[in-house]
Amino acid sequence: MTTRYDLIIVGAGPAGLSAAIYAARARLKTLVLDESVPGGQVKTTHKVSNYPGFPEDIKGTDLAKAFSTQAERFGATIRRAVEITRHDLTGPVKSFELDEEETVEAPAVVVATGAKPRDLGVPGESKFKGRGISYCATCDGAYFEGKDIHVIGGGNSAVEESLFLTQFARSVTIIHQFDHFQAEAATAEEARSNPKIKVIWDSEPRAFSGDKGLERLTIENVKTKVTTELATDGVFVFIGYVPRTDLVKGIVPLNKWGYVETGEDMSTPVPGLFVAGDLRSKLFRQITTAVADGTIASLAAQKFVKQHARPAPAPAVAPVA
Amino acid sequence: MSQFVKEISAGDYQQEVLAAGVPVVLDFFSTECPPCEALAPKFEAVAEQYAGKARFLKIYRQGNRDLAQQLGVTGSPTLVFFDRAGHEQGERLGGEDIKRTAIKAQVEALLA
Repeated sequence: MTTRYDLIIVGAGPAGLSAAIYAARARLKTLVLDESVPGGQVKTTHKVSNYPGFPEDIKGTDLAKAFSTQAERFGATIRRAVEITRHDLTGPVKSFELDEEETVEAPAVVVATGAKPRDLGVPGESKFKGRGISYCATCDGAYFEGKDIHVIGGGNSAVEESLFLTQFARSVTIIHQFDHFQAEAATAEEARSNPKIKVIWDSEPRAFSGDKGLERLTIENVKTKVTTELATDGVFVFIGYVPRTDLVKGIVPLNKWGYVETGEDMSTPVPGLFVAGDLRSKLFRQITTAVADGTIASLAAQKFVKQHARPAPAPAVAPVA
Repeated sequence: MSQFVKEISAGDYQQEVLAAGVPVVLDFFSTECPPCEALAPKFEAVAEQYAGKARFLKIYRQGNRDLAQQLGVTGSPTLVFFDRAGHEQGERLGGEDIKRTAIKAQVEALLA
């Protein structure tokens, strides 16, 4: 079975859902695909403090739900937990096979697949994933009630999530490769004044070990080159992200770090293919910048659809005015 | 309650998992866990596909802490696969990226 849309957006994070809100309000028949539930990285962020419009902190999961509810209110269809099993994005009609059983197609596509947490690439990491090493504090924090845990990283995510983890853990020791945090000053100050948080500066993890589960973490001081083995009950890794470019690799230009190069209007050299959000080459990756990308991509895609394509049949359900 | 995925507690582990006599996939889940929410419909779909051939179970981590600890499970969701004899086999699947095809591949291997 093949269903035709005006615009298909891949990825239901802030960029993809912003694109969906604008497209659905423009009365394009809009489909959003996500392999997970909507929200992207926002949904596993315990709180968001810097997104305008929310004078109090908002839980990431609540912000994610607000984004998707708003897109659906205007008639966008969001397909949750679907797997793209085949795709062809190069022709005038772009198609996706979903879960090996159905096909969707559209003249324009916005790829907003974002980024996923970066692995450390340290011996023992894959062995102890889910057996003591975690990348999601909201998911796994409660496993570590009363435990002594370590956090790798010193940016916003690492420090924010360390603060969150102090609700459960007896102690949280942050291992950071530099001698100061990269996190916003407000967050860094909060961490420094939290009695449960300790910091080991200038150090990087070198190995994870243990018999059944993770028991030990080896770190190296990058200045003195001294290695130390630490006993640990668990390690949370927040060392940044890698772009998810699987869908577009080979058909659009990537920069040397693997991010997609786009025009100012989020266009790519492939007509009708737009890229928005964290997988783009840009200076700053924030919820606000993802929202801006999604907006621009959607407006550019609308223009493209109007100029180049025959519209899809009207949506079965009339969008709310 | 789902038709194809049954929720168990630690007390049922021996009978439902180890003595099942069929391959078992056990999902450790938590609340406030978006990757767990994302897994649920995929897990359900695979469970429906293999109904009668393999058993698909889920267990709430917070309520069954000791069993999670005994199996060394510290993350949600974690899928643990058992063969007909109740021995753990294959790779545990975890995190946000669990694909339907990956679950199916492991179930196929257990049925082979």
